Amino acid sequence: MPDWVDPVGHYMLEQGLRGTLELAAISLVGALVIGVVLGTLLTIHFKPLTWTIRLYIEVWRGLPILVTIFIIFFALPAISQELEFSPLTAAGIGLILWGSAQVAEATRGAVGSIPREQHEAAAALGFGWVGRHVFVILPQALRRLLPPVVGLLVNIIQNTTIAQVIGATELLESGERSVERLTAPPPIGLGEIHAFEIYGAVMVVFFVLSFPLTRLAAYLERRLA
Amino acid sequence: MSVVAFEWGYLADYGGDLAAGLWRTIYVSAIAIAGAFVIGLVLGAARAHRVPVVRQLAAVYVEVIRNTPILVQIFMLYFALPEIGIRLDAFTVAWLSVMVWGGAFNTENFRAGFEAVPARFHEAALGLGFGRLGTFLNVTLPIGGRIALPSSINTYISILKNTSLLYVISYPELTTTALQINALTLQTVETFTVLAVTYLALVWSMSAGIRLLEGHLALPETR
Repeated sequence: MPDWVDPVGHYMLEQGLRGTLELAAISLVGALVIGVVLGTLLTIHFKPLTWTIRLYIEVWRGLPILVTIFIIFFALPAISQELEFSPLTAAGIGLILWGSAQVAEATRGAVGSIPREQHEAAAALGFGWVGRHVFVILPQALRRLLPPVVGLLVNIIQNTTIAQVIGATELLESGERSVERLTAPPPIGLGEIHAFEIYGAVMVVFFVLSFPLTRLAAYLERRLA
Repeated sequence: MSVVAFEWGYLADYGGDLAAGLWRTIYVSAIAIAGAFVIGLVLGAARAHRVPVVRQLAAVYVEVIRNTPILVQIFMLYFALPEIGIRLDAFTVAWLSVMVWGGAFNTENFRAGFEAVPARFHEAALGLGFGRLGTFLNVTLPIGGRIALPSSINTYISILKNTSLLYVISYPELTTTALQINALTLQTVETFTVLAVTYLALVWSMSAGIRLLEGHLALPETR
């Protein structure tokens, strides 16, 4: 193997892949927490609350994630300097807004699919609204949420690449930097173009991460159906 | 926190550019949606009806596209292919990348739709003397196509949203145009407001319009 492969590979896996996985993990957790809360609140019949959450869902689902991230990264600092975020944070917020909208929609369906009797039985045992949902309804609903959440994780992993556009260090960005570095004339680079190999490798890494999860989502869907 | 005073005057100067960007977004989306429809229909049918060879190739295509980020696919087409002697201009990469992506998702949408058509319908059609192609065109396609409609609509909306990623190849669609205007005018809040509202108007009217169509095309049993 050529000499450049080893340092580039180390850089892309240690810096790039690490950034991708961190961003994906934070985005997944954030999207789940916010999405489950909003989705559960959506089952309450109180119009102003429903409308507010619906607007949240439709806006963050409707906007391209790139546009959301641009707004967070470029437009918020123009409003107030306190709203200035690092590329990784801005991308994380964008992915959480989008992901939580997906989770909220799925949670609404899952919570709604739990039979009335479960609510009534929990109420008869003396649970209030919060206790009823936290201890009785959501544990059952989460089981039904599992296949869509695994599917969402695949989408989040793929969409972390959008962070590249604002220069966050993730796998694709680390690949792009490596390509540029190698293209530069010596002594900085080699004066060689290796875009095909490097972006090909990025594709392979994403495939290896995503494919088992896609299979898992399909399996869970069949099993829990 | 500073008070933001909107200044819309600059829109008079750049409205034309934004309109041109919007037009390119719609144009590229339309080509890609039409292409994804054809790909989905043909490969979805090949997968559902177990057409040898085509079926396996379609499976590989679907899994590769679905399990890799579209942004990396765009990078491959625009920045990596020239290395092996294939040079595509920005417009070609623009429609091709979103079409290939949408086609893979649509193949799955149509496959699921065709497979959901009850076997008794096939049997009835064969019993009436239709051949395999006749059965497909007269029974499986009209019924399975309608079952696949809601999920394929979501794919078309995603195609439209994904055209924003063409920013990375500087194809002057809506997002690229808005960022160029932002760089020139520094009217950041106004420009991004216009950008967001335009996308929401596009996406929301697209879903509303097509849901209407969906009502008309729904199977009688589900209406």
